[in-house]
Amino acid sequence: MIKLLLGFCCACCLSSCVTVKGYEMVQLNDPDMALSPTGVEVQQGNFQSYREAASGANSGKTGGGCGCN
Amino acid sequence: MAAIKPLRAGHSKYLLLAFALFLGTCVRGQEVTPPGAGTYKKRVLENAELQVLSSYYQQDGNNAAVTGGQGTEKLTDIHPTVILALPLNEDDVLTASFGISAYTSASSSNVNPFDGSGDASPFQASSGASGNDVWINGTVTYSHSSDDRNNVISGTLSGSNEYDYKSFGIGGSYTRLMNQQNTELTVHGSAYLDNWKRVYPIELRTNEELLTQTARNSYNAGLNFSQLLSRRAQASLSLDFVQQQGLLSTPFQRVYFGDVADRLFQQFPLADDIERLPDIRTKLAFGGRLHYYINERFVLRSFYRYYTDDWGVASHTVNLEVPIKLGSYFSLKPGYRYYVQTAADYFAGFNGHLSTETFYTSDYDLSPFTAHQYSLGLSYLDILTDRQLLGWGLKSVDLNVSGYRRDNGFRAAQVAVGFKVVRQ
Repeated sequence: MIKLLLGFCCACCLSSCVTVKGYEMVQLNDPDMALSPTGVEVQQGNFQSYREAASGANSGKTGGGCGCN
Repeated sequence: MAAIKPLRAGHSKYLLLAFALFLGTCVRGQEVTPPGAGTYKKRVLENAELQVLSSYYQQDGNNAAVTGGQGTEKLTDIHPTVILALPLNEDDVLTASFGISAYTSASSSNVNPFDGSGDASPFQASSGASGNDVWINGTVTYSHSSDDRNNVISGTLSGSNEYDYKSFGIGGSYTRLMNQQNTELTVHGSAYLDNWKRVYPIELRTNEELLTQTARNSYNAGLNFSQLLSRRAQASLSLDFVQQQGLLSTPFQRVYFGDVADRLFQQFPLADDIERLPDIRTKLAFGGRLHYYINERFVLRSFYRYYTDDWGVASHTVNLEVPIKLGSYFSLKPGYRYYVQTAADYFAGFNGHLSTETFYTSDYDLSPFTAHQYSLGLSYLDILTDRQLLGWGLKSVDLNVSGYRRDNGFRAAQVAVGFKVVRQ
């Protein structure tokens, strides 16, 4: 798994040397390409942070609230 | 499942090294001041935006933590949220959100299983007052963008309240955009200062407190790095570090010991003790996201997260979504999420603990399990907000349904809807 992560990072490093100009970002600006979750996605993911031991690294809640029900 | 091991000190070095490598190679672009900067500033947010969200959630299973790992987990929850984003000037935005979560929980009702009319049983909800509650949450965020839009700072205050739990949160973040805004680095931190009202299972209530602490504090720090990889691909990496201190167990969750004889009242086994857990927990989560624009009809959204903590839990999460464009305004979004976790060191099921142990829990949220989630979303988006009502233009409508299933029998389903309107 660690090797996979390292491989992913190296692959990203190689690709990220390019610079995309503003006028080339039409496809990147597509709403479905957004990296941050939409409101509904956040709403839908709330229960996972309660029902699963893992949380974080997903632009979501990482603390607060007991989630004890 | 057995292949997953909690992250130990040696492994965390590799993760940090990988993250640093990614940052170090990518954050090297030249700072570029947009042409015309200083003469005209586009507003960060043109007009006020109002977002209304609501979800209905239900779950069921037979491993309730309140009844020591055996008993109904049936729960329903309705959760509306309103979010208002207001532009204060060209650079500043104030966002306020308010949410209510009203739930009915069979397991919570069994904090006191004897206040109903029938015989008490872990597999039946009591009709008593502890079976439902309302959680109220409010959050205010202020953000400021620099003139060149390459620096954004924000601060957040939040608070929430339910019958036995109060939470106050404070946080902040700094975002730096570089390399002609191809690269974005965010550093964020927050603290949640929470407080329990200690409610014990009815049969364990005496004049003496079973727990000495009531505070639970969570401190979060994180990095998020995003990068455009090509005209069609972008990715992000996130690292979150969380430390929790204080009362980390839940006062009303029962535990039954294997070396203590069971005592039944009606059909309900009386608890041997409440859940007891260490008063500190350190969590580390590392996530990566890759989105690829395949063509005018399909987009691929992928996410992976590795999580570990010092209670012995390790988990992998994989999420795949392929939005399909249906014309200019609509997208259909089928998705699949896979989740697997190992058990916490302190977990055992009903009668699985010994009374000689120091820490113990029968909360199946800390058990080893694999979960599959299938979802389907439908989105409408009109950036130009042509459809108008009472001076507000409709920008987006989202509908999402999902089903979630664990390999231990736990099931959940959810429907979420949301719409966003923009002040004209």
